[in-house]
Amino acid sequence: MNRSKQFRKLFAATLKMMFREKQVWFWNIFFPIILMSIFMVIFGGNDGSDFKAKVAVVQPARNEAADGMLSGLRQIPVFEWKSEAPVTAEQADEWIKEKDVDGVIYLPADGQTQSLKLVVNTENEQSATTQVIRGILEQVVQQSNLAAAGVQTPPFHLEMQAVTSGSEDLSYTDFLMTGMIALALAQGGLFGMVDLVEMRRKGLLKRLRMTPVRMGLLGLASMLVRFLLGVFQVCVLAAIGVFLFGAHLHIDVPTLIVAFFIGSLAFNALGYLFSSFSKTLEAYMGVANIASFLMMFISGIFFPTNSLPGWLQPVKDALPLTYFAEGLRDGMVYGSGIASTEFWLGAGVMALWGVVAYLIGATLYRRAKVEAR
Amino acid sequence: MPILEARGLRKTYGSVTAVENISFEVEAGEIFTIIGPNGAGKTTTLEMIEGLIPPDAGTIAIDGLTWAKDAEKIKYRIGIQPQSSAMFELLTVEENLELFATFYPKAKSVGEVLAMINLAEHRNKRVKSLSGGQRQRLAIGLGMINDPDIVFLDEPTTGLDPQARRNIWDIVLNLKALGKTTILTTHYMEEAEKLSDRVCIVDQGKVVTLDTPAALIGRLTREREVRLSFLDGEEAAAAAESAAQSAGSVVRTSREGAHLALWSVQPEDTLYGLFGFTKERGYRVEQVSIREMSLEDVFIAFTGKEWRD
Repeated sequence: MNRSKQFRKLFAATLKMMFREKQVWFWNIFFPIILMSIFMVIFGGNDGSDFKAKVAVVQPARNEAADGMLSGLRQIPVFEWKSEAPVTAEQADEWIKEKDVDGVIYLPADGQTQSLKLVVNTENEQSATTQVIRGILEQVVQQSNLAAAGVQTPPFHLEMQAVTSGSEDLSYTDFLMTGMIALALAQGGLFGMVDLVEMRRKGLLKRLRMTPVRMGLLGLASMLVRFLLGVFQVCVLAAIGVFLFGAHLHIDVPTLIVAFFIGSLAFNALGYLFSSFSKTLEAYMGVANIASFLMMFISGIFFPTNSLPGWLQPVKDALPLTYFAEGLRDGMVYGSGIASTEFWLGAGVMALWGVVAYLIGATLYRRAKVEAR
Repeated sequence: MPILEARGLRKTYGSVTAVENISFEVEAGEIFTIIGPNGAGKTTTLEMIEGLIPPDAGTIAIDGLTWAKDAEKIKYRIGIQPQSSAMFELLTVEENLELFATFYPKAKSVGEVLAMINLAEHRNKRVKSLSGGQRQRLAIGLGMINDPDIVFLDEPTTGLDPQARRNIWDIVLNLKALGKTTILTTHYMEEAEKLSDRVCIVDQGKVVTLDTPAALIGRLTREREVRLSFLDGEEAAAAAESAAQSAGSVVRTSREGAHLALWSVQPEDTLYGLFGFTKERGYRVEQVSIREMSLEDVFIAFTGKEWRD
């Protein structure tokens, strides 16, 4: 039996086994899809265009200033009025407590103290909606002041525009989709070596050593199967992101391929390391879970890393998942990266993790083989 | 020339000596059985011979080949059914055999092996759903896929029901008919007696004795255990006991109620004399038996230990 036929058979057998293992399908395909969909539904739909703040207004007394302001407020498109007419203070308090409205605006009571008051539920004090209402009201007050001072057209105004390094704006959907792809591939590697633990525990590794089969060929075959699964994960998650949640793709093939291979290899090496010192399935799953959980939240999968506290930044900079996510974003949504130093620095960090993990794992396996009875 | 030669094998794990000193030779075509209690060093001995663990001391030659020089060649010529009977759980019977066949430069056809292990009708079943006996047969089949000259079977029948055990015996005897050399370990004395050409009893990492089952049993002391029970109760048994004690061939006796046991170097003469006595007295004997000698007695005689399955 020649080497290439042996390899083909091993590859076919490994592929069959993967197809038949339901756990593989659940953890590598369905779980990332579910997780990504949940995050996208919750956080992805908040586009600026359909932002609405539900408000009500209380007018303690009618006066010219208050009437003027009220008609001004009615012009603001993002305000949705709970009641067209001003309501009583008691009614407004109740709405706030019941969270029927995002905020209640108290118009100035008389011509002397021209104060505009905003009342919100304490729970929502820090919410984005409150910040927006507050910002708008501050604008209104300022405009009124300028008008009162007799300035017709203010000489300065602020315009804001967001700029990203990519060819298209990076929306949160794009960010999350690529993060989820990185996470799914990383978990495929971290958890994927569970077969090896089981093969060792059940004595299958030993059984294979009784035959003249080349263990290297077996390793190569299962690696190839893993890469195929990885490609499938990328395609499925990207398709769902693009078609169901409107993510944008701007693919740079060489960047994507380099990031995919180096990252996948690094995480498979980590899984291999975990398997080398885990005697049982439970021990292995425990270690893999800890590793994946820590990285998932620190490495900018769900949220950008600049919101992390300062002391966590160096940790983030050391983790391979950070660079894997960045690398895949470069390759899938920014459409660039292969030429940048930063990309290769990230690839280098991942490669270093992979090589070190592999070397330690191989040493531990060799020692275990000597001790095995 | 023996096909397998093990000389002075020794293996220690830290302060535990698994195998102290084991030597034997196996002739081509025979079924050679290693028996001994748990922890006697059977599996460690087999694994050293199979090249899985290096011995601390001693030499192994398989048809003149050694692991240090000819590992590949030896692997082509031996077939192993390990105690754990590990295989690919998610593959079918046939797929397992096909995959293992690719590991060797020349292999038997999968159909032929399926017929030998009597699993042809379960060929498309996944290993997961096989019964214990079917699983064990497949494990033996995987060991036979390369058409080996020497087959190692490590406790192939442990934990199987009597019918499944008998099926395995048929396979082992069939291997012998094909001219294969089989090295077997077992827990069951009956099995060793039935299948083996020669038996090697090991205990505490050493060979206690080694010969054909018949020769081993023949080597035991001559006294046989004879048991009688009397319908006329204790009184009859006591009278028979004292009569037996006066006979020269009886070494010792023991009595429990109406049941009498005696050990005699000439059981036929002893019984003849005893029946004369009971006839004369008119005692009615309910049961008589002469206990057969088995390998179990050999084990007890050589090690001074009780045998437990």
